[in-house]
Amino acid sequence: MKAGRATAANAEADSGPGMAVTSAANSPDSGCAGAAKPTPLIALRGVSRLHDGGAIAALTDIDLAIEAGDCVAVVGASGSGKSSLVNMLCGIDFPSAGSVLWNGRPVATQRQWARLRRTAIGIVFQEFNLIPTLTAIENVELALFGRGIAASRRQARAAIMLYRVGLEQRMHNAVTTLSGGERQRVAIARALVNAPRLLLADEPTGSLDSVNALLVAELLFKLSQELGMTTVLVTHDEALAARCPRRVRIKDGRVVEDLGSITAAPPVAAEPATPEHTVSTP
Amino acid sequence: MNLFGLASRNLKRRPVRTSLSILGVGLAVGSALALMSLSRSIDASTREGFDEMGDDLVVMQKGASDIFGGFIPEDTVERVAAVAGVARAAGELFMFAPAGNERSLLTQGWADGSYLWKKVPLREGRVPGAGERAVAVLGEGAAASLGKKLDDSVEIFGQKFNVIGIANYTSTINRGLVLLPLTDLQAASLRPHQVTVIHVNTARGTPPADTGRVKGAIDALGGLSAATADEVLSKDRNFKILDAVSLAISIIAVLMGAIYVLNALIMATQERTREIGVFAAIGWSKRLIMASIVVEGVLLCVAGCVLGLGLSFAASLAFPHIPAIGDLVSFKPNAALIVPTLAAALLLCVAGSLLPAWRAVRMLPAEALRRL
Repeated sequence: MKAGRATAANAEADSGPGMAVTSAANSPDSGCAGAAKPTPLIALRGVSRLHDGGAIAALTDIDLAIEAGDCVAVVGASGSGKSSLVNMLCGIDFPSAGSVLWNGRPVATQRQWARLRRTAIGIVFQEFNLIPTLTAIENVELALFGRGIAASRRQARAAIMLYRVGLEQRMHNAVTTLSGGERQRVAIARALVNAPRLLLADEPTGSLDSVNALLVAELLFKLSQELGMTTVLVTHDEALAARCPRRVRIKDGRVVEDLGSITAAPPVAAEPATPEHTVSTP
Repeated sequence: MNLFGLASRNLKRRPVRTSLSILGVGLAVGSALALMSLSRSIDASTREGFDEMGDDLVVMQKGASDIFGGFIPEDTVERVAAVAGVARAAGELFMFAPAGNERSLLTQGWADGSYLWKKVPLREGRVPGAGERAVAVLGEGAAASLGKKLDDSVEIFGQKFNVIGIANYTSTINRGLVLLPLTDLQAASLRPHQVTVIHVNTARGTPPADTGRVKGAIDALGGLSAATADEVLSKDRNFKILDAVSLAISIIAVLMGAIYVLNALIMATQERTREIGVFAAIGWSKRLIMASIVVEGVLLCVAGCVLGLGLSFAASLAFPHIPAIGDLVSFKPNAALIVPTLAAALLLCVAGSLLPAWRAVRMLPAEALRRL
């Protein structure tokens, strides 16, 4: 997949249209003498996460910078700290040491993180994490709560997003009646309905069969590219990870490898397995 | 969808628990309303009873703690009647008297020729003649509950009285009265030559008597205290105790309702910890998450209040048909009781919802998402 550039809609004051799409850790010199290094969209600085009073280190002294438009795969074995890293990147967990910077500014409070998750960060979980009592459209609408958006507008935006993930026919179905693949598409719609700048997908295909896994991965990459989002994909699937230009390998809570290049070949789009799984776009 | 819709779905998700919680709140609110209403109704019934007797002033023994507690010599009635501005005065011995079958009836003894006898609204029969003894006039309620009619006999203090009249008073308390000649009741209750209260009508001439001055003049007789019916009831120890007990039990009942809500919401939020983690993960602020839980508590409470209101009105319809209650009090919930009771219930439920809401947002989203 080609790393998408931040769209004008997503770009905020400190991430201008000329921002280089590269990884801070591995970016080759731009070749322009004296060119200022762009501020990463999000960066971890010396982040450690300890549990049980320090007996268990989920993350140890992580330094990682992700720039706007990056597509980063975080790979590693189970228990290596991949999910802990994602948790730090969206502030649903806090570092025991170190700091997290958004656009160069430290994000320290839950309130700041909640605001970012509400406006600029979308998360897709392995377990979908949908609300079972609600329909697909209501689940997507939830992500628009607390933003001062009228109910009718929320519904309209949720419906558009479900249309984009190909669930326009099932948007009023309870999520408990949907298949695993459909549920994950609802979760993707929920993550993207706020047009986030950063999409975090934590093992998005981990709970799916191979056909649905392929479809969901394809959808994620497609929408990520269309919407020009920075994407962090956590996976233990090396083939999936290979579709991201940048790959960060985690082992025992440390970054042991960080490979990436802006010249990486775009991933090859997989064909849908069956016509009914075709993802529609408006 | 909005927060109310979300809360409503969550409540419908566990219908048994939700129904039980609503029932709990309903019973609590219904009990509180019933108790408060009952207490106020006793007060109101007594007030209506005094009004129906046409009293301007009620004279009691000075320092008497309640309307049953006075010990006034019977000859004091003449001294009160002689006070300037007093048109007429009538002594009354007033007590709950045993009427057999472990029942006590509100019984009043009036002197021969008392103006009170002339004001009895007879449905049938007559009032006692001068010097007539061992006869009784029953209020319609008392007659019905005792199953007595004219010429039957009724047993008071173990003595038989012949029913010579049935009175159709309108106030509940007077409908349950047994009226006896004063001498008979004094003898039966071992209180010879005593009355409990003296009813006073002030002069209606032009200008009408100054009630305040009449009160002062009666008080000056010594050992007596004249007051309006409202003043008597507001100072009555029994009513104060009744109000205090009712209020205390009502507060306990409403607190129990709030605890039902608290319990239901704590259970619900514990079970939905992961969902609350999801809300946090998609950017809901703590305030919004707390609001969603409080709204759920408010919905439970509102449903419980509606049920409780219905139960209290059902009780108000049913209680008059229960002789032990209906003979003595009318049971009428009114807005002055309903509004503060429901407001208190809602406030307590909101307060009860805040604890689980606070517990829910205290946790880090990642921690909440790890919960099963």
